[in-house]
Amino acid sequence: MNQDNQGLDFSTVIASTVHDMKNSLAALTQAHSQWLARLPEGSGGSEQGVIEHEFTHLNGMLVQLLGLYKLGVNQLPMCPDYHELDDFIEAQLAAQQNLLQHRDILASWRIETASPLGFFDRELVGSVVANILNNAIRHAGHALLITVSDEDEQLVLCINDDGPGFAPRMLERQQEYVQGIDGQSGSTGLGLYFAARIAALHERDGIKGRIEIANGGVLGGAVFRLYLP
Amino acid sequence: MQVYSQKSFLIVDDFSDFRSSARSMLRELGVRDVDTADSGEQALRMCSQKRYDFILQDFHLGDGKKNGQQVLEDLILDKLISHECVFIMVTAESSQAIVLSALEHEPDAYLTKPFNRIGLAQRLEKLVQRKTLLKPILQALDRGRPAEVLAACAELCKKDPRFAPLCLRYRADALRDLNRYDELGKFLTAIIASRATPWAYAALGGLLFKRNQFAQAQGVYEQALKAFPMMPGLYDGLAEVLMALGENKRAQGVLEEAVRLSPLAVRRQMMLGKLALSNNDFETSSKAYRHAVNQGQSSRYKNPESNLGLVQALMSKNAGNGLDARTRVEINTVLSEVAKENVEDQGLQVRARLMKAASLQQAGDAETAAKLTEQAMARLDKMEQFFSVEAALVVATQLQQLGQESASTSILKGCVETYGDDPKVMQSVSRLTDDPTVLNAVSEAVDLNRQGVRSYQGNQLGEALALFRRALKLQPKNISIALNTAQALLRIGGETPPVAIMEECRASLTCVAGIPESDSRYERYRKLHQRAFGA
Repeated sequence: MNQDNQGLDFSTVIASTVHDMKNSLAALTQAHSQWLARLPEGSGGSEQGVIEHEFTHLNGMLVQLLGLYKLGVNQLPMCPDYHELDDFIEAQLAAQQNLLQHRDILASWRIETASPLGFFDRELVGSVVANILNNAIRHAGHALLITVSDEDEQLVLCINDDGPGFAPRMLERQQEYVQGIDGQSGSTGLGLYFAARIAALHERDGIKGRIEIANGGVLGGAVFRLYLP
Repeated sequence: MQVYSQKSFLIVDDFSDFRSSARSMLRELGVRDVDTADSGEQALRMCSQKRYDFILQDFHLGDGKKNGQQVLEDLILDKLISHECVFIMVTAESSQAIVLSALEHEPDAYLTKPFNRIGLAQRLEKLVQRKTLLKPILQALDRGRPAEVLAACAELCKKDPRFAPLCLRYRADALRDLNRYDELGKFLTAIIASRATPWAYAALGGLLFKRNQFAQAQGVYEQALKAFPMMPGLYDGLAEVLMALGENKRAQGVLEEAVRLSPLAVRRQMMLGKLALSNNDFETSSKAYRHAVNQGQSSRYKNPESNLGLVQALMSKNAGNGLDARTRVEINTVLSEVAKENVEDQGLQVRARLMKAASLQQAGDAETAAKLTEQAMARLDKMEQFFSVEAALVVATQLQQLGQESASTSILKGCVETYGDDPKVMQSVSRLTDDPTVLNAVSEAVDLNRQGVRSYQGNQLGEALALFRRALKLQPKNISIALNTAQALLRIGGETPPVAIMEECRASLTCVAGIPESDSRYERYRKLHQRAFGA
């Protein structure tokens, strides 16, 4: 054994453990859904919704944790390409379909861009959208809406729900969350920090991607906007 | 809703739970024909017997096994799947898989575990739509007709210009295959200026390298790595350019960076082993070659040169110190693998034996070393195949060290005769011998060959042929001269060459039939051979 290897680098330990946890969770989720398929329709009850939600939430957090680790050690690979926007949004919603059904939330989406294609890293932006969507589903009353539009040659991906919206304190201090200044902000704050970092990895002609949160929108609840140049 | 009842599916995963869960999802979607495989090797066998419409391939199939990306590469390079097949890479976490595939062969989509039936159905449906949109392009790819690929891309871009970006990579590959390099250079530069992607950078760097514009290629790779520092393939490209510029130390540093990012790559480890060996960094070299040997077990890029390189590095590392027991065991293992797996290859048989003899001599067993050397020399006498330059130089050096001066000289003579028109080769040979009969053997023939090339370029075909013939008479085993002679003969012979010309052409090619496949002129030799001897 090398002298240098005597102490454990804790963040590396976390990263590799998270990786295993993700695999376990994937197996658990898959087994659970197979088990459910054998049960008579509707016998899962309301607990099933909780299980689905927490599985998805847990998975999202693990992905985010791994992502944050890789950002920290400068090893988050960025590989942008052209992707069909409708496919991207549909895939995001399909992944959370069980959840939407259980909470009886109507999810709709609109693509208002000139091009059917967007240029971004599908995995990275996908992990951000998955977390935001999961949050929106948790807080929404009956509906959520995803829109994709153009604004000054940037792609704007907006997720809006009809829940109570962000706390005023979060809106006021969003810049601090984005910069990762507030270490006590809990999972929502961490999520915003992660989203902002992923957005900023997307850069064109010196303009970096960014995020924005607000209350209102068509549905009156929380609004999350991701700007990709 | 897509109808899948007539479509065939293959699920590849090492976990049976996952296979059965994916299978039941597919059944719910109306799929009837589902096969499963638990390893990449099994998947490849199944694909060689049946054409699948859809493949769900798990990325990580266990340590020491082919991973999903290697399976995809094998499927494409061995033409076991159509371009119309939908190939989905299933991963626990996609970033690593993406990094490995971004520059070479990409799957049609990634699907992250866990996924549900609705998610799977959505991806399948959309991918079928995309494949339908691109169908004419994919069919042209299956036919191997780059010109038709370009035409199909143009057609699609005209019909629906909004989807033009989906054609970029197909167009770039087709331009490359058609050798339309100027156009390709402009095309890639425009892509990078507008929306840079790792593949576009790699393609431009590769193009500039191929055209010997090393400084420009270096600039492109350096710019690329600023934007995409996580792409190991871009480091490979930069290292290749630096080697061409003679900056082997820097090239090694760059490759070490790539290996840190992505250690599972046989060719990269082998290249690093070779570079480090040339830089006299035997520690790094033996480590890299060892990785190449181990990983080679499950890879199409397995190469006996890694085994020989590893032994070379281990011996150099311990030069003057004998060899400890563990090193001897390792040397025995990797060398017997070469001997066992390359029974038909005379050159490798000789080299493995000599390498073994050299290691025994270093370990202090001179007697066995001498016996093995004798065996190797007996095989050497019967050998028809040519050594590559590198192999010839190593063999000559070892023969010298084993006290076989005259055998060493004859290897060098052969090397000079075959490759002596290349001044770099002559430089290397002169480091091993001062013998004027070796060093001056080729000058006259090389001179005649050079004049011949000039006449050929000036379209003085008769004059060129006469010069090539004189050169060939002096050095009948020189690859360049023999190929030039054959080419001039075929050119003069026209559509249906007279019998005498064909025979002379065949004879000159037969003299260099020992050309190693690794030689850069092998492709040219093969084409001329095809014309002279028929397919």
